[in-house]
Amino acid sequence: MQAVSESIRFDLYVRGEIPFSLSGSLVTTASRRDKDRTAFSRWHDSQADLIRLDLIPGKPGQIRARIMSVDPQWGTPKRVVHQPFYATQPNHGLNIHGDTLWATNLLFGAPLEVDIPQWKPTRILRPMEPDATSPQVSSTSHFAWSLDHRYAFYHQSLLTQEDSTVRAKALALVRIDTRTGKERLWTLLAPAEDSDLRGANFHSAFYFEEGGRKYVGLLRTGAILESLAAHPTPAEHPVIPMTASCIWIVEITEDSSELQVSLLPGIRELGYLALSHLDVDASGANGFILYANFKQADVSEETHGSNIYGEPPADVSEHYSGMTVEAINFGMVLRYEKRESKNSIRVFKRAYDPGLTSRGHSWLPINIQLDYRRKRLFCSFSGFRPRLLPRHIARAYPEMAVDPLKIRYVPPLLMRFDADTLLPQYDKDRTYLSYTEPMAFCIAGNDLHEYVCTFSTETGLRIYRADDLSRVICHAVSPLLMNWKDTHFRPDPAHMVFAQSS
Amino acid sequence: MALRRPSVEGPDFSNFIRQTNETVQRLEANSWDFDKVPEVFAKDAAADVFAKEIVHVHDGKTMTRYGRLVMGGVGTQFNLMGPIPPNAALRVSHRGVLEEINRQLKSKGLNDLPEFRKLGKIEEIEFFNYEIFYTLRDLVFWLVLHDAGSFPSSLEVMVRHMAAGNVVQSNRYAPSKPSKDRRKPALMSATGLMVQFPSPVIEWMDKPIFGGLAKDTIHVETLLTLKATDVSHPYLPLQKEGKLRFNDKKYYYRRFVGITPKDGLRGPNIAPEKPANHF
Repeated sequence: MQAVSESIRFDLYVRGEIPFSLSGSLVTTASRRDKDRTAFSRWHDSQADLIRLDLIPGKPGQIRARIMSVDPQWGTPKRVVHQPFYATQPNHGLNIHGDTLWATNLLFGAPLEVDIPQWKPTRILRPMEPDATSPQVSSTSHFAWSLDHRYAFYHQSLLTQEDSTVRAKALALVRIDTRTGKERLWTLLAPAEDSDLRGANFHSAFYFEEGGRKYVGLLRTGAILESLAAHPTPAEHPVIPMTASCIWIVEITEDSSELQVSLLPGIRELGYLALSHLDVDASGANGFILYANFKQADVSEETHGSNIYGEPPADVSEHYSGMTVEAINFGMVLRYEKRESKNSIRVFKRAYDPGLTSRGHSWLPINIQLDYRRKRLFCSFSGFRPRLLPRHIARAYPEMAVDPLKIRYVPPLLMRFDADTLLPQYDKDRTYLSYTEPMAFCIAGNDLHEYVCTFSTETGLRIYRADDLSRVICHAVSPLLMNWKDTHFRPDPAHMVFAQSS
Repeated sequence: MALRRPSVEGPDFSNFIRQTNETVQRLEANSWDFDKVPEVFAKDAAADVFAKEIVHVHDGKTMTRYGRLVMGGVGTQFNLMGPIPPNAALRVSHRGVLEEINRQLKSKGLNDLPEFRKLGKIEEIEFFNYEIFYTLRDLVFWLVLHDAGSFPSSLEVMVRHMAAGNVVQSNRYAPSKPSKDRRKPALMSATGLMVQFPSPVIEWMDKPIFGGLAKDTIHVETLLTLKATDVSHPYLPLQKEGKLRFNDKKYYYRRFVGITPKDGLRGPNIAPEKPANHF
């Protein structure tokens, strides 16, 4: 399948210095939202704008942006959405190998393959073919990679609307051979203890080897959708609570077309709602250390309806229909070490204390990445905007949801952890944290000269030395990042990746 | 912020300075955590920007903003803080810029908007005592000295701007008839504030942080450029565009009008951050 796109290019204004180890490109996936905040569309469904920032080192250096709008007319008056299901709206995940990008949605649709140097889409990876009864597919946002990075793995399945919920069917594990571009599919057989396919959606995947065998782990999000299409009216509605997330483990065998799934022990028992993004250290081919975000958020829902204070959307000016859902409470970061001899779990979870901001918090973890030597872990946390938590979602989780009278605004945060202990790397000068930071970030450079790049369309690009988040060394901005024409703005992207110049 | 101690005079001055210095040293020694220095917490939030009318002029090299800011406050004296590039020039300019642009656009500026007209009587005031803070220590010292205090989450916004190499400018303002009633804050309008800095791109202003009184900000923002542009405001819809004359040059204009939310909002009747409070 092919995708339609259009693109623009322009320069950013750079203040500071672009270090030499950052010669390459930063790529991020932005979505698009109507400035008219009464115009409803789900956050999954927003159109995708892929942004590539080419970094030319120097003082100040140069940054050139290229923006590719995918299927730009979908959902606009020019193409009224008679058919509500799109092939691809890659507004979330980024998977890169060499000069190829596979960009993905949060939940719906199929990955879009993009030629990075040409900045053009090449194909849509949809081996599962929708039909009249299963008109949409779900795919993994963040792929697993074999240890030699030759193979990428993701899940894809068909989605079917039932009476009150959406159910996955024909679950498949897909492998892409990056040398040949060929795909292989296996049918996944759900584990008996997690066979309810209403929540069989998988945000992230990871690969590991153990005892000479090859495995893929799939973070089962467990999002339970009431409706495959967007709600016809953005009104309050009953919410079917998510079940606790878990991790599916699949052993890869070449001589079988079906793969039996087992559950990684100890995850479901943590009792949090939604596993999402991850990073993994699977080096050594003897198990893995998995770092994953565990949200207390019903990620299958979107922001609409009255908030927890009973205020209607019209009275909440920060509201825009279909925006990213707010958490119902603070989440956690998980470190899971699996070796043949033992498994161990560590977590970081923390409320926000305004009197102790140096301790950080774990409100709505978004992004997570190890440094090049896998000694330090960087995580971004979205914080909390109390007026944007819908009442009907909070009601579905009476035991978990925050007390509206005690909660206040929690600022976004980027924090650096010790990857072994999962403790923030405290120091007096606060070089390990940065509040009010955009969610999208990536580690860039090399293992000797390592940098953290953060990005939002409004704030622009900030570059820090990885060991000092208290001092920006480069800041680059452009107003052309912020909008799509005059009608739409681009909210903060969630993820960004760095592609080193070859 | 509302300044609970706007004047520091006489022999007490040196005592306040010494005490404030000690407070800031304790805060810094405590990694800027307020828990052991709770007196730094602002006692209440009682000042906000209610509306702003801005003309942004970009000639390809320089960004110039002319503004009319409408503030509300409960108390006798306030300060308005914001980050600016360190090479910016900040001054009070003549008031005619906004009037001239509105005349050509056949507009009354903010007064075109019913939401603005509903605010009621607004007193014309002038900013005074312009100050620049280069470090977090300077900024906190000033806020503590004047018993304005701070909220940790708001302070982090300034920390991030300083980390990026910006300075924080502060202007004081005061009403002739102070209000003590949060439901009826004194409304003040200051016209003519101008900030100018080199930039080859158009740079918009950050959203104001919630100050406890106005959850939203009413905007009329007009962008003037020498060349036609499709640059749009991050959130505001485009109201109209065309050509006009300004300072004897032809400019393209784009006017954006609407309402935007403050940053850091909380629920109705929820008090701001305070000591021994976690969530």
